[in-house]
Formats: sequence, C-alpha cells, structure tokens
Amino acid sequence: MPSRLSFQKSLPLSLLNAAQNKPMLVELKNGETFNGHLVNCDNFMNITLREVYQTNADGDRFWKVKECYIRGSTIKYLRVPDQLLDVVKDEQNRAREANRSVRGAHAGPGGRGRARGGPIARGGRGRGRGI
Amino acid sequence: MDSLIPFTTSGSLVDCVDRKMLVILRDGRKLHGVLRSYDQFANLVLEDTVERIYSGNTFAEKWCGLFLIRGENVVLLGEIDLDQEDDVPLQQVDFELLDGHHRHEAAEKRHRDDTKAKVLFEQKGFCREGGEGDGY
Repeated sequence: MPSRLSFQKSLPLSLLNAAQNKPMLVELKNGETFNGHLVNCDNFMNITLREVYQTNADGDRFWKVKECYIRGSTIKYLRVPDQLLDVVKDEQNRAREANRSVRGAHAGPGGRGRARGGPIARGGRGRGRGI
Repeated sequence: MDSLIPFTTSGSLVDCVDRKMLVILRDGRKLHGVLRSYDQFANLVLEDTVERIYSGNTFAEKWCGLFLIRGENVVLLGEIDLDQEDDVPLQQVDFELLDGHHRHEAAEKRHRDDTKAKVLFEQKGFCREGGEGDGY
C-alpha cells in the first residue's frame, strides 16, 4: 500500500520537476544527446538546460552550449541522478508530516485525524485512490 | 477483480509498478529495470535500469540507472518472470566485447531494411517508408 501511494505522487513529470538544478542526460528521437543541468521544465516536457554538452547521433562530434531549450515532443528519454527518487520520497514524507501536524493542531486529538483514514479503509478494491 | 478496471494505460500498468520490466524502444533499445511510476501517456520511470544488447547466443548489459522515458518511444513493456529469468540459454559477456559487434549488426539490418523498402517502392508499387521505426 505505501508504494502505491508514493507512486501516485512521483509521476514522471513530478520527478522531472524535482530534478531542477540537477545534472541530466537528454536523448532526442534523432539520437542527439544533451548533457547539462536542468533549469526549468513544464507539463509538455519542454525543458531548458544550462552548461550543455551536445553530442551528435553517431557520438563523434561535440558542442558546448551555454543554455538551450528543448521541445518536449522531440525527447526520447531523460537520464536523471539515481538519488532523485529518494530525494522526492523524503520531501513528500516531510510534507505529509508537516501537513499532519498542522491539521492535528487545528482539529485536536482524534478529530479529523481519524476521518482521514476512513475513505481508504472503506475502499473495497484496496487500491487507494485515483487509478 | 481486475476486470473492474477499464482498459486504459493506467488500468493496464497498475499491476506492473515495482516489478522488473522489459522496455523496448522504437530505436530497438532493450531496457531492463524496475517500473516506479507512469502516467496517462505511458511516460515511464525506470529505476536500476540496464541496457541489454544481444548477438548470437550471447548478451551484455550496461548500467544506466534512473530513466524517464517519454511514452511515445515505447514499443513494448513486459514483466520479467524472476523465476525463469536465469533459465535463458544465453551467455553473458562484457559489454565492450559485444558493443562493436552489435553496432555492426544494427547497421547491417538498417541497410537490409533500406534495400527492402527501396525494392518495394520502386518495383512493387508500395508507398515509401517514413523512416526509423515506421514499422511500428
């Protein structure tokens, strides 16, 4: 169950959002690759990178680019740092804890805290929400 | 129980999360990794990914780590049976050893496909193929 819940939040594009200022490798559909740090991204997967090393499809020519914009639709895949998944998970846990303590303070003990558990416990399929 | 879930990307892939999966891309790349999340476009997050190449009765792996794949480029996504994974009668070798060979074979295949497409277009009245992965 915890994995289902955490998965819902770290959707591919949320992961990309969390990768801001992190190094990454982007390969385009035509095979060109771009190595750089993510500056910004949007929900179309359009991205801007800084300090970029561009490589052609054959991997034998290189260019250094200060900053570049890549249209999302041209992307094949992105490779991001392995630790990113843990970072995102930690941030979510922290946010959840913060949220809980704030709510707890307002609702008082046994107030809304229990009500939150209700819908999930009732869910017949046991799959959590949203799928 | 599963029949209650409609046939959508989300409905089909929900049971694959946290499983070891094989992903084949339009460019022919084969990636093995653990599916961590996906969305309605079948954009995928793969953790602990390795790229596999095959040649004859050997294969090789290259470590690639965390992948975010744009859904458009996915041809196939299949679960790997961990019990039978090691029963495959192939021998694992060094990636560097197989890489050159694999590239050569890929180039040859591309050349064959080009020739075939040319013949089909010029002599058999077929339309011209659009380019990479058009067969998908």
